[in-house]
Amino acid sequence: MLPIILLSVFGIALLFLGFAKSKAILLPATLLFIAIAFGASFVDWGKNYMYFNDMLLSTNLSIAFTAIVLLSAFMVVSLSSSFLEDESAQPAEYYAIMLFSLVGAIMMISFENLIMLFVGVEILSVAMYVLTGSDKRNLRSNEAALKYFLMGSFATGIMLFGLALLYGTSGSFVLSDLRSYVNGGVAYGSPLLLYMGLLLLLVGILFKVSAAPFHFWTPDVYEGAPTLFTAFMSTVVKTAGFAALLRLLSFSFTGIYSFWGVILMAVTVITLVVSNFTAVYQSSFKRMMAYSSISHAGYLLIALTAVGQQSKQALVFYSLAYSVATIAAFGVLLVVSRHQSGEGKPTDESYDAFNGLARQNPLLGFIMTVAMLSLAGIPLTAGFWGKFMVFTTAANRGIFWLLVVAVLMSAVSIYYYFRVIIAMYLRDGQTTAIRVAPFYRYVLIAATILTIVLGILPNLVRSLV
Amino acid sequence: MQPTQQVLIPEVIQQIPLNYYLIFSTALFVIGIIGVLTRRNAIIIFMSIELMLNAVNMLLIAFSSYKSDPTGQVFVFFIMAVAAAEVAVGLAIIVMIYRNTRSIDIGALNKLKW
Amino acid sequence: MQAELLCILIPLLPLLGFVANGLGFRRVPASLVGPLAVAGPVLSFLAVLSLFSNFRAGGNQPFKALLFDWISVADLHINFSFQIDQLSLIMLLVVTGVGSLIHLYSIGYMKHDEGYGKFMAFLNLFLFFMLLLVMGSNYVIMFIGWEGVGLCSYLLIGFWNTNTSYNNAARKAFVMNRIGDLGFLLGIFLIFTTFGSVEYSDVFASATGMTIGDKTVLAITLLLFVGAMGKSAQIPLYTWLPDAMAGPTPVSALIHAATMVTAGIYMVVRSNVLYTLSPLTLEIMGGIAMATALLAASIGLLQNDIKKVLAYSTVSQLGYMFLGLSVAAYTGGMFHVLTHAFFKALLFLGAGSVIHAMSDEQDIRNMGGLRKYLPITFWTFLIGTIAISGIPPFAGFFSKDEILAHVWEHNKVLWALGVLGSAMTSFYMFRLLFLTFFGEFRGTAEQKHHLHESPLTMTLPLMVLAVLSVVGGLLNVPHALGGHSALAEFMAPLYAGSQQVNPAAFGGHTMGASEELMLMGISAGVALLSAIVAYVMYVRNAAVPAPDSAERSLPAKVVYNKYYIDEFYEVLIVRPVRALGDGLYSVGEFVVDGVVGAVAWLVRTVSGQLRLVQNGSIGSYVFAMVLSLALIIALRFFINWTSVLGYLNI
Repeated sequence: MLPIILLSVFGIALLFLGFAKSKAILLPATLLFIAIAFGASFVDWGKNYMYFNDMLLSTNLSIAFTAIVLLSAFMVVSLSSSFLEDESAQPAEYYAIMLFSLVGAIMMISFENLIMLFVGVEILSVAMYVLTGSDKRNLRSNEAALKYFLMGSFATGIMLFGLALLYGTSGSFVLSDLRSYVNGGVAYGSPLLLYMGLLLLLVGILFKVSAAPFHFWTPDVYEGAPTLFTAFMSTVVKTAGFAALLRLLSFSFTGIYSFWGVILMAVTVITLVVSNFTAVYQSSFKRMMAYSSISHAGYLLIALTAVGQQSKQALVFYSLAYSVATIAAFGVLLVVSRHQSGEGKPTDESYDAFNGLARQNPLLGFIMTVAMLSLAGIPLTAGFWGKFMVFTTAANRGIFWLLVVAVLMSAVSIYYYFRVIIAMYLRDGQTTAIRVAPFYRYVLIAATILTIVLGILPNLVRSLV
Repeated sequence: MQPTQQVLIPEVIQQIPLNYYLIFSTALFVIGIIGVLTRRNAIIIFMSIELMLNAVNMLLIAFSSYKSDPTGQVFVFFIMAVAAAEVAVGLAIIVMIYRNTRSIDIGALNKLKW
Repeated sequence: MQAELLCILIPLLPLLGFVANGLGFRRVPASLVGPLAVAGPVLSFLAVLSLFSNFRAGGNQPFKALLFDWISVADLHINFSFQIDQLSLIMLLVVTGVGSLIHLYSIGYMKHDEGYGKFMAFLNLFLFFMLLLVMGSNYVIMFIGWEGVGLCSYLLIGFWNTNTSYNNAARKAFVMNRIGDLGFLLGIFLIFTTFGSVEYSDVFASATGMTIGDKTVLAITLLLFVGAMGKSAQIPLYTWLPDAMAGPTPVSALIHAATMVTAGIYMVVRSNVLYTLSPLTLEIMGGIAMATALLAASIGLLQNDIKKVLAYSTVSQLGYMFLGLSVAAYTGGMFHVLTHAFFKALLFLGAGSVIHAMSDEQDIRNMGGLRKYLPITFWTFLIGTIAISGIPPFAGFFSKDEILAHVWEHNKVLWALGVLGSAMTSFYMFRLLFLTFFGEFRGTAEQKHHLHESPLTMTLPLMVLAVLSVVGGLLNVPHALGGHSALAEFMAPLYAGSQQVNPAAFGGHTMGASEELMLMGISAGVALLSAIVAYVMYVRNAAVPAPDSAERSLPAKVVYNKYYIDEFYEVLIVRPVRALGDGLYSVGEFVVDGVVGAVAWLVRTVSGQLRLVQNGSIGSYVFAMVLSLALIIALRFFINWTSVLGYLNI
């Protein structure tokens, strides 16, 4: 639980660092803070500890998810060098908010008491509302922030009602109490309240991980938010949300699988179909990535629907593969769209921005290609094994028709992922060589190497769980 | 809901059965939802959401009293604190939009779509 | 230990070639690109040879080279290991051997291309994936190779990517292959759930305990066969292969003739236990294979693009291979894979040499008389043509005959159709040969001026492949001809499992030597006859002065018109066949592509409609959320499903 304390302190420290004349120190300081938290998260490795009066539980699984979240945050922050060039931006505050939001994410990952789940979700969400609207003069950013905020708080309300009902029927917010209550048969209290409470709670979290039909905010918000924070949202929030769902469903509510299994299955299918089909039509790369993120929520949901022995590893691996590839893709988008749009013009985030990119920028082209291949699940990238493991969980459960849908939809996804590759390599464009700062480049290269290495040696992650 | 277990439930509370609280809170919650669905003014939508949260608070307190278990009431404090933070951020966002568009009608905000 | 090192080296060497040429694209000096790219395949060919001789010396003992534990999560264990046995060794020899020759050829063919280094790098990468495909000891490695070769094929078809039709061809190939891959992937998952493992040895060991006609095995084999249909271009997923000829010719030779397209056959032979367990799948496979063989052959009769003829011929020959597999003649199928690799690679490379000489002209109507200018190409092409037509004693005769003999035992009608197909094969191949190399040159003067024999790097592979096409058949001379079916004997241990589950399917030859000789005689005779017909039509006739306006007496007229034999042919054979071919071609082009196009259109339309749901208004988003929530609640709580189902008697 060290990272929670550390990150809170570091966040406050960063706010003070913001008073310094030079902004140059902020980026390395933030990176250092995240790195320290990353290291500190492994202190509890191999031990199951309850913290803060049984509020949080630290296990290897929660540490693995924490590590993924911190790694994603590290990579996103290291792509944020453009802040420092912008005069009006207040980087110290953004960095501090990001650190605070990580606290929320870690609480969602390792909660033992539902109160902590709520507080974690809210810390993360409120931080995201602010970051989404951080481009204050951009109307699109404003609109995205308001949409996210209104719908997010609405979803929070629903989730809270669910929590209250669960409390009313079981008399406790503690996961292990809920587990024994559920497993002891629904002896006292009304089962209707239990089911209703669980359903509303699920809807609240499904909203956060943008599963259909609760996904409507995602494309608009992802498109409107500054690209950097889109990358942050689509990785950190999603990983934390799925960790929370996994904790809830695989620990407390396995006893009533027959109730939520069907609902989750329906949600999974709708998510997969809607996201993949809609992504086909998009002309904006960024918006396509939003639908892509919804579709990956669908694949992750498969592992939850077919919750079993492998689900944990599958979710960890998939989140890692997805986060790394997504950040690499957004990283390339950031430099390319900034390069393609001159002074004063709106940034170009469509597929056309990538036309002919690879001619003069073979490295960026390659990074993007690997990221797209991984997201599409082509072998010898991490994404392939992620999909493979997730699909195996469904096969193990014997939910074969879900597998068929998932495999079909992953074929559809090839279409929109490959559009970028085709644009980069086969279309003509006047893209000149883009200068990429060395550190930025190293992070992107590291992400690419990680994607390939995990594609060749997927067992490396096994030691994580 | 566990009639055999309670230790100290004040008479005053017992006069109204728990189910009444449940129905009342649910009604309040649904009114909040309807408010969100029907209103176009961002502030009023926001107020409806606050109504939903308070319905939850109500429910938690009722459950908490009937179980003689303080956690529910503690949770209410958490909710109130977090809701306050949300209000701060939410109003800031609404002000920001008002500055840029001179309107807080959500119907006008549909630049991002398809 | 030494064997394991060799196993690692075999795929690693081409990969190194890819890395060297790929990373160093435009940096590696042009003179070094070729040697770098060829070194990988040649060295791994040598490694395969050494592995092969070890294998023979060690008493043909199959072994698994476990490299590392690839992934193990809960009950999912996948090893990264290579299976070295008779089957993978044969495939390895073909892939690296023919692959090396084609790499060598590519140096001459692509040298002046702008993307020379990139091209060679992709070829190396292809070889790497192909080697993974055939060496892997479980279905997952096979799948990875399978996807990888598909990807390389996509890259190489679209290599001259300035042309949009090339891009369309590449995309079509990719889409059709994806459809097949879906089947394959689902098959793998079904295998995993059924057998609890994807390792060949485990799967086949537990499969031998199952009964014939098992429903799950039927589903598995059908799904895997869908994968094979995509990769090996069977009906209805065949139209991509002719279009794939848009890529450079060495690619057509290596990927779309000799190696990748035979992956489907490899997979079926590899899983022969499963297929033997499921006779129904074999029946279906036989029907599809026969239809493909005939359809493609009849389309081949009228093509005028030299590469298109060869492409349809490839589709047709793949049909023959599957036909062999469908009657449990697994060795026959593999034997045809082997000989086909030799002569089809030879023919494609020969065609490449012609195209090179003709300044990128591919229409055979504009060729003719080339044998004077390209003697080596002509002679090797002739050998290839004889080999593919099934005229003894060249390679194609033996392999095709082996398949047809098994088909005869199984079903006489299929056999007759097979012979008909082989007649067509012989006809279109000789037509191609005659139109290209005989008669007068019909091209432009400029082309004529440019005509030249290709450099040694291109002709050397031709000569080597020609020799192989001549002697390749000797690997498996049947008993009836005094041989002892060496290949069949060598491969026999692979079918131990199949024999155990269904001994009846492996009854061995029931027919006598005389019957077999008769069958051989018929198929060879038919092939020769078609060749002669082609000769009459395209060499003799072409020399006849055309006008017949002069008044002649009736007998003279009959004689002059060669007893109206040609007209007779024309009306009775050529026109119906042409009509049939035209019709079938339209089926392929419009029905199959139409279906694929319609699916794509549907996806786009649905997508276009679906995105309108996202109308940007918070109100409707919230409404959708509440509505879905209400729907879930209604469905879960207010409908009593057990009573509904009971009411419906489900």
